Amino acid sequence: MIADEPTLARLMAASQQGDKQAYTVLLTEVQLWLERYFRRRCAPAMLDDLVQEVMLAVHRKRASWDASRPFLPWLAAIARYRWVDHLRKVYRTEEDALEDHDAAEDSGEDALLARLSLERMFVQIPSKQSEAIELVKIEGLSIAEAAERSGQSESAVKVNIHRGLKKLAALVEKAE
Amino acid sequence: MIMERVPNPLVGQLANDLAPVRTLKLRDGLALAVLALVGTVLLVQLVEGLWMTGVYGHASPFFYIGNGLLLASGAAAAVAVVSMASPRVGNRYEGPKWAMATAAVLPVAALVTLLAQPGGPAAYHDEHGIYCLVAGLVCSLLVTGALVHWLRRGAPVSISTAGLLTGVAATALGSAAYGLSCPIDDVMHIGLWHAAPVLVGAIAGRFLLPPLLKW
Repeated sequence: MIADEPTLARLMAASQQGDKQAYTVLLTEVQLWLERYFRRRCAPAMLDDLVQEVMLAVHRKRASWDASRPFLPWLAAIARYRWVDHLRKVYRTEEDALEDHDAAEDSGEDALLARLSLERMFVQIPSKQSEAIELVKIEGLSIAEAAERSGQSESAVKVNIHRGLKKLAALVEKAE
Repeated sequence: MIMERVPNPLVGQLANDLAPVRTLKLRDGLALAVLALVGTVLLVQLVEGLWMTGVYGHASPFFYIGNGLLLASGAAAAVAVVSMASPRVGNRYEGPKWAMATAAVLPVAALVTLLAQPGGPAAYHDEHGIYCLVAGLVCSLLVTGALVHWLRRGAPVSISTAGLLTGVAATALGSAAYGLSCPIDDVMHIGLWHAAPVLVGAIAGRFLLPPLLKW
């Protein structure tokens, strides 16, 4: 079970002071949280890389967390930022078909997590754009395959990916 | 069955590398921006000299309204930029939009006046206009540097907005600082040439600053 918000905030505050033990516990919890956070929106083969990338970002940018504010919205903002960046970089990998994970339902996703989730970002962009991103950037289909599956033309798939990623980048801090 | 998790070596590496950090506080960022603005005003005083008629309260109302609107919209944008260094899902940056909309009254009033004057825009000539535009942009450099430095220390995640608002904040504050030295206090000069740097700053910030802010 992942630690709750007050515990994570306390660990992060201690980490900012240089407490290595607290930091080890925090990073272990952060890793679990990130794995759960990304599971449905990242190809399984890329999950570890993405989680490690965010953990490095957390380390580099730890001074940017304000101890008077909650920890998880800060972590989610960093995770979303890296995720959009990751989607931009992803190229097709054939074994990356997304499996049907349902961790969020299993664990009884709470209101905070729902507010921070990646799904919230996807529902705010047009469905054709989210579909194109999902098929090509997450499932790893080629443009031609995605066009055939979605019924969009190839150029429409490319345009929708480009516009969708641009919109996602602008939604990183949006909670609604 | 309970599955044992393999410990992630990265956790140990990062923990070993841990050192205490000085956290980014909103008040420190604001102090940096204010310091840059004060430095700009001092440089304006050294290079151009402040217009004492305006400083002592004897200029036209447009002098105070124009520079006041620039100052207010610049301050609103600067506060947003400083808070962007500490990201958070749930942050909103509505304040600067309304401040900019309010400040836009100034160029709109200038344009209406320009169109209504005898002879229309063709009859308008302001030989000092370009100088004020360029001076406003030059005066924005110190605040730009301070805000970009602050953002690079932090973790901005809305990069395009951060670039745009940095451009707006720096040019609005820079133009307001330069405005204290400009003795031309009619609505058309202030509304067109002292507001124009903000438009240039917004465009430049939106397109030129993101590469500096990405991390």
